[in-house]
Amino acid sequence: MLLFRSEEHAERWIRQRGQANGAFLTLEQQWRLSRAWFQGRLAPDFRRRTVEEAQAVFDAIGLTGAFWSLTG
Amino acid sequence: MARTGYPFDPEATPRYGAVMSETLDRDVRLAVMRGFVDDGRPPSPDELAGSLGVAQIEIEAALHRLADAHVLVLAPGTPFVWMAAPFSAIPTTSRVSSGDRTWWGNCIWDALGVLATLGADGRVSTTCPDCAEPLGLDVAGDRVRGEGVVHYAVPAARWWDDIGST
Repeated sequence: MLLFRSEEHAERWIRQRGQANGAFLTLEQQWRLSRAWFQGRLAPDFRRRTVEEAQAVFDAIGLTGAFWSLTG
Repeated sequence: MARTGYPFDPEATPRYGAVMSETLDRDVRLAVMRGFVDDGRPPSPDELAGSLGVAQIEIEAALHRLADAHVLVLAPGTPFVWMAAPFSAIPTTSRVSSGDRTWWGNCIWDALGVLATLGADGRVSTTCPDCAEPLGLDVAGDRVRGEGVVHYAVPAARWWDDIGST
């Protein structure tokens, strides 16, 4: 997960490396994801989310489709 | 391999038995996270042994269980914590600052996650991989401001295939 100046910069970098296109998030989407994901991380009773719970976090931010599927 | 320096102190009575591994794992994870938050680095296995009053061999077993469960990542072939999301024990391209304190995030998701974990305002500093120009994101009052887009190269189902590169 890398921050690029713009999609144009990212696409040039991807093209030069022959990588797949992947997916883009806006800064606001990424911040929402980071906040939701790490909420409660310092709590003593923290546990890793189940696949279903993690998928629900993605869904709530609108990250749906094959790329965001945790079950492949 | 010869293993020396272990605190096999016969006077020490471990507070955790085999059936208590879940409790030990919880305490080790918390101590690792507190180390990152308070000191900017994870405690070493011998420091954990000292602070938790547990033999180092039990600490290392707990660290390996936590790594197997993807709760943290150990430096390859060692019992030393490399990553405990969102924190990195080694410098990365994503530096996080809040006040006069700094941390390293494993990626941009984690770098913003450091501030989310701390519940603090702060700044994420990185560089564009394409043009190498500096980029900065400011978090204040639950809002993020800055320039850029986040690119995910690897589909979610494959993130743990090579978490160090993801």
